[in-house]
Amino acid sequence: MNPPSLNDPTSRRGFFQLTLGWLAAGFAVAASSAAAMRFLVPNVLYEPSLRFKAGQPDDYAESSVTFLEEERVFLLRQGNTFRCLSAICTHLGCTVNRASNGYHCPCHGSVFNEQGTVLSGPAPRGLEWFSVTLSKDNRLLVDKSQRVNAGQYLVL
Amino acid sequence: MNAPWPSRLWQRFARTRVGHSVFRVGLPHSNLERAQAMVSSFLLHVQPAKVNRHALRPTATLGLGLISLYLFFILTGTGVLLMFYYVPSTDRAYDAMKDLQFVVSAGLILRNMHRWAAHLMVLFVMLHLCRVFYTGAYKRPREFNWLIGTGLFLLTLGLSFTGYLLPWDQLAFWAITVGTSIAGYAPVVGPKLKYLLLGGNVVGQEALIRFYALHVIVLPGLAALGICIHLWRVRKDGGLARPDEPADSVQQIELSQLPTNKSYGLMELARGTTPQVGKNPEDEIFSWPHLIFRELLLFLAVVAVVLFLAVFWNAPLEQLANPIHPPNPAKAPWYFLGLQELVSYSAFWGGVVVPGLLVTVLVLLPYLDRGRAGVGRWFARERTVANTIFTVCLVVAIALTLIGSVFRGPNWSWQTPWQPPPAVVEGH
Repeated sequence: MNPPSLNDPTSRRGFFQLTLGWLAAGFAVAASSAAAMRFLVPNVLYEPSLRFKAGQPDDYAESSVTFLEEERVFLLRQGNTFRCLSAICTHLGCTVNRASNGYHCPCHGSVFNEQGTVLSGPAPRGLEWFSVTLSKDNRLLVDKSQRVNAGQYLVL
Repeated sequence: MNAPWPSRLWQRFARTRVGHSVFRVGLPHSNLERAQAMVSSFLLHVQPAKVNRHALRPTATLGLGLISLYLFFILTGTGVLLMFYYVPSTDRAYDAMKDLQFVVSAGLILRNMHRWAAHLMVLFVMLHLCRVFYTGAYKRPREFNWLIGTGLFLLTLGLSFTGYLLPWDQLAFWAITVGTSIAGYAPVVGPKLKYLLLGGNVVGQEALIRFYALHVIVLPGLAALGICIHLWRVRKDGGLARPDEPADSVQQIELSQLPTNKSYGLMELARGTTPQVGKNPEDEIFSWPHLIFRELLLFLAVVAVVLFLAVFWNAPLEQLANPIHPPNPAKAPWYFLGLQELVSYSAFWGGVVVPGLLVTVLVLLPYLDRGRAGVGRWFARERTVANTIFTVCLVVAIALTLIGSVFRGPNWSWQTPWQPPPAVVEGH
């Protein structure tokens, strides 16, 4: 009797050697590719913290707009209300410039008004508003990971 | 016996025991030796022993692919040298650029050569693509080679883009910020892709080291492999496209079918319209010296042009990267300015849909356009429709690039190059 042919996947030997073999090889390739891809996704970032203290409320003059360079945000005070506006254009990530009555992006010409709403240009959304709270030691606490609705102020 | 002294010297060396062990064939004197010279050398055997006259006419290809290859050689050579000084760290990269410019012997000219050769390579790969289109050279049996070529075109852009970040100056930082943000607009995978490319959320140290690894090993390695396959397939698919090709040129040649009255041998046993398949053997001439000579001459010309540019024009180096102040206007490299102009209308449509569609059409082109007419001739009348569509796309791309380059000023507002607007006062 002839041994069952390797080329016949319906035979028992064919099944084990061909089908399972190829499955195992495919699984090995897929698993190592997935592991390599996962390897490339960093688990720890050494970027600056998204939460930071921006000094005491009285550091800011009434009705003032202050650009915090390190954090790339604007801190605005209007009377006793505070808010924090992102300086990063929602289009492609350039830093916007303060203009007389709003913000201009130098990269692709988006124009935002005082509230950060898009007036013209390719930006898909207005500038982000970040949460501003008062810490126990009476400092302004900005959290760039917490977005708030436009028009939400910290009132002191 | 009146050969010039270098030939005589080489001939004498080739006859010594050492010389013979290296070269096997000295300077060839007979047709047999001319064929042997080509097949016995590792570097030369990639090319056929005889080539079609048509392929040697300068107007057949304008030498555009070969020029791109030579630029790749120059880029590899200068790039490896630059690696000896460059440090992919945000603290030291910019200083290394300054050192190359002012301290390292010949550093300035090597960096200039690398920069100009990179720009030229993008240009010549594009021109090569246009040549192949306008001569219909992507048609059967060369469909797959067009695919490889499209891949090489994208790799060239990728190499250029990743190299752009490495100087860590303002130009680098903002071009990459804008470029990776465009990637972020891709549907579904966009934000993940951006995170993966940057190794984080911002363009910083992790992004720099990633772009460096891609630029110095991953992409050049892939490009080198692609170039090898591309050149190999040129021969296997029957050499350069030409008008008098036999109708169905893909066939396996049987040994018994070979004519016996030829002086070259087994190296011609390849698929396709290798010379012996041609109807007219008189149309072929020996690669040595006709092809080799032209290739060396072209190489000399390419090196001369790159050196000329590098001697008289310095590669730009702006101020140290500053995440707070984008230059105004912040512009991508010229070959992405058309894209940037599109992106200034809509990041999703201009940055993702249009380029995605263009690449898809490029990839599918040889399988969509199956007409057999007009292969190997420039602007063949049978291909008027295809040529017109291609030309319109080309003109639009050039127009967008031109607008992005010279008609866009601060805040990406419209300006005319002959009447620049007053300087913008910036303040926060």
